Amino acid sequence: MRALGERINEVRQREESHKVRPPYTPLGIAGRFGTEILGAVIAGAAIGWGLDWVFGTRPVFILVMFMFGAAAGILNVFRAAKEINERMMKDQAGKPMPPAVADDEDD
Amino acid sequence: MAASPMEQFEVVPLIPLHLGGVDISFTNQALWMCIVVVATSLFMTLPLMRARLVPTRMQSMAELSYQFVADMLNMTSGSDGLKFFPLIFTVFMFILMSNFFGLIPGSFTVTSQIAVTFALTALVILTVIVTGFARHGFGFLKLFVLDAPIYIAAPMALLEFLAFCARPISLSLRLFANMLAGHTMLVVMAGFVVALIGTGGVLSALSIAPMLLIIGLGALEILVAFLQAYVFAILSCIYLNEALHLHEHH
Repeated sequence: MRALGERINEVRQREESHKVRPPYTPLGIAGRFGTEILGAVIAGAAIGWGLDWVFGTRPVFILVMFMFGAAAGILNVFRAAKEINERMMKDQAGKPMPPAVADDEDD
Repeated sequence: MAASPMEQFEVVPLIPLHLGGVDISFTNQALWMCIVVVATSLFMTLPLMRARLVPTRMQSMAELSYQFVADMLNMTSGSDGLKFFPLIFTVFMFILMSNFFGLIPGSFTVTSQIAVTFALTALVILTVIVTGFARHGFGFLKLFVLDAPIYIAAPMALLEFLAFCARPISLSLRLFANMLAGHTMLVVMAGFVVALIGTGGVLSALSIAPMLLIIGLGALEILVAFLQAYVFAILSCIYLNEALHLHEHH
């Protein structure tokens, strides 16, 4: 009975290492980044437009928030890139990502 | 071909209905949503009615999709997130089935309507917000606060807030744009085939090129149909995980 349990665990671990996960296609990554930026810019512009509408300061907030929206979009792209990177590393190694290499530059 | 590539996305009322001045007509959109829901329910329940220890092919497919989503949720948000399994699983299966049904020639792609994708996104994001506040109270707002001096943290809080607001937009836009673009491309290619055949002579022999391209695009669309459902589901998981554990940005 114990041998059976061990064998089940073994099989489970083997399965764990190459679980089916869809690959990241270049097109998929491009689409991800594109919508990430576009969404943030739309959100920023919409909020700016709303603030202008409330305060009656037509071009001020929409301009400022548009810029902030673009910056937030970059932030989102940055995060998405980090996440995709981690996933790719994991998939390539077939095991959890190794700890980051220590900075060995003398500065 | 007279049909424009955008014609396939037109919502047309099948049974016109008006209730108190509100148009609640039963459209082709509603019809295909019903078909998708019924088909998904049958796909998930029928094979399991007489479940066997050694699964049949259909039972195995149903169990695999269950396991797939459960693993995804477990991987991204831990056992804590399994409470949200019904939501994520429903959303995933609905999008997956709509995408696949949309690939049947002559059908209607439910997920190519931004109203549908945005409604799904709103459902997910509202769940995230409610969960976050229920879990952490106003501590949920720490999500926007960076551990930094005030002159950095203040503009960053605005950025984080905008980045948070961008999520529902980009999430709904991605699915919508992918389905729209893919289906438009298929019809445009099909239009080329018809146009080339119509010219006659040597040019009609060239129509084989766009035809081959359609086969390739069709295969790509099947991948995209699955991939987009997966991306939507996993991003929902990631957002839920943040609400649950107040994931620290670094």
